[in-house]
Amino acid sequence: MSPAVLAVVVLGLYPLLFILAAAFSDSTLGRPFRDWVGLENVETVLADADVVASFARTVLYAAAVSVASVVLGVVIALALERATRSGSVVRTVLLLPLITPPVVVGTLWKLVFNPGGGLLDTALRAGGADAASVAPLSSSAWALPAVGLADVWQWTPLVVILVYAALLTQDPSVREAASLDGAHGVRLFGHITWPAIAGTVAAVLLIRLVIALKVFDLVFVMTSGGPGQATTTTSYLIYQVALKEFDIGRASAITLLFAVIVTVVVLPVAALARRLSHA
Amino acid sequence: MRSRVPRRSSPLGTAVLGIALLATVLPLLYLLSVSLMGRGETVSGVLWTSDPQWTNWGDVLASGLPRSIVNSLVAALGGSVLTLLLAVPGAWAIARYRAGGRTLGATLMSPWLLPPIVAVVPLLTLLRILHLNNTVLGLTLVYALVNLPVAVWLLEGFVRRLPPELEEAARVDGAGAMRTLVSVIAPLLVPSVVAIGIIVAILNYNEFLLATFLTQSADTQTFPVALSLFYGDRTPHFGKIAAASFLGVVPVFAAAVFFQRWLVGGLTQGAVR
Repeated sequence: MSPAVLAVVVLGLYPLLFILAAAFSDSTLGRPFRDWVGLENVETVLADADVVASFARTVLYAAAVSVASVVLGVVIALALERATRSGSVVRTVLLLPLITPPVVVGTLWKLVFNPGGGLLDTALRAGGADAASVAPLSSSAWALPAVGLADVWQWTPLVVILVYAALLTQDPSVREAASLDGAHGVRLFGHITWPAIAGTVAAVLLIRLVIALKVFDLVFVMTSGGPGQATTTTSYLIYQVALKEFDIGRASAITLLFAVIVTVVVLPVAALARRLSHA
Repeated sequence: MRSRVPRRSSPLGTAVLGIALLATVLPLLYLLSVSLMGRGETVSGVLWTSDPQWTNWGDVLASGLPRSIVNSLVAALGGSVLTLLLAVPGAWAIARYRAGGRTLGATLMSPWLLPPIVAVVPLLTLLRILHLNNTVLGLTLVYALVNLPVAVWLLEGFVRRLPPELEEAARVDGAGAMRTLVSVIAPLLVPSVVAIGIIVAILNYNEFLLATFLTQSADTQTFPVALSLFYGDRTPHFGKIAAASFLGVVPVFAAAVFFQRWLVGGLTQGAVR
């Protein structure tokens, strides 16, 4: 067995055992594993409305952001494939958000949403909106969608590039035959293009969903989880509990429960991806 | 080239592409514009400054930021090279020798499902025991392992596409597994290894969460950590923050332009089987 496999087992297994041990013990950052407390941490966490709310918030956020990225990404990939003249410059420019550090992406959108002088505020004023400042990041209704917009901006290029690659592997003669038979537009897409890329789209949705469930950097930079708890995703909550309250036991219990939720959310999508790519 | 029948250029497609390009570039241009603004202008609703403050860039260049960019580059490239050294034999073993059966590939990817915050405390404890916390070396070693599953996953697709006859021929000629790997497999994989190396290096360069906890002293901070500290001031200077952001993005954007072909190839051919 290669050293790579051993290394990953050590890296994967060690944190897992650490978390399991901490979840069932009274643990602080300085003094882990003081006392075995059984299910006490898990019970505390499950009874905590803030924790349960963060689970629901994270799953809804991830679902919305993933669907938005995948729909936009497929549309842009189709446009990219149709625009025969688009060269490597266009493709490189479209990839830029993907390789921009998330901390910079967060900064960028924080500046755009900056009340009183940000790009959004200035544009709305120029468009004649009323003079009251627009401040999505300090509104409990709009803060999460605003973080989501930055997330979609950053990760849609991944969908574009993977779906575009799948489009290129299509046999062009099938498409030509279909269009000679009079299939155009929606019909051509539904009968020829979609079946060819459905497997890839489902796989990309899976990847996108996992990335969105883990969102942390954008929240950290843009809102610090606020206003109130409006943008406290589970990653951010675990960070707060573990490294601000130093309660490793409770943080580990949240982590374990979140692992269960991630698995439950991701498995159906993974099954769908597997079925579509073998169809 | 692909289609012999000249295709009608689609106005809708061109429009979509135009909007996508605009939506991509506009925020980046705005960041550049803010990086030249004075303190007052960032809250006054101007889109382009009339009096460019080049001192924003000067101040940022004179701060600890360039050092942090160097730290990031060292950890990103070092981590990437180590990842590849481990990933090539790993991917080969999984693809060719069915090491670990059908489940090993999936098992390797499973830690990727969880938020990396999960690993911070255990890793911090481990590095402290090894006296490697707060060192660029420690972070480099962590990066080497963190993206290993992704690298193995992408590489496996490339290894499977190599004709198995080559390895059989090497075996008939008496080459052992190690020899086959080094002299036959590795040279054939060079283009894909370069592509995956770039992707992994960019992932490392952009990583923030682990870096904040594993490199806390000023001389070991990476770029994302240094940038996040600009928010520490009571009234953050957005012009300087924007300048710092832009400066830190330059290496990745330069790499993307320079390695465009490899980058796209690595993302697409590795992932789409």
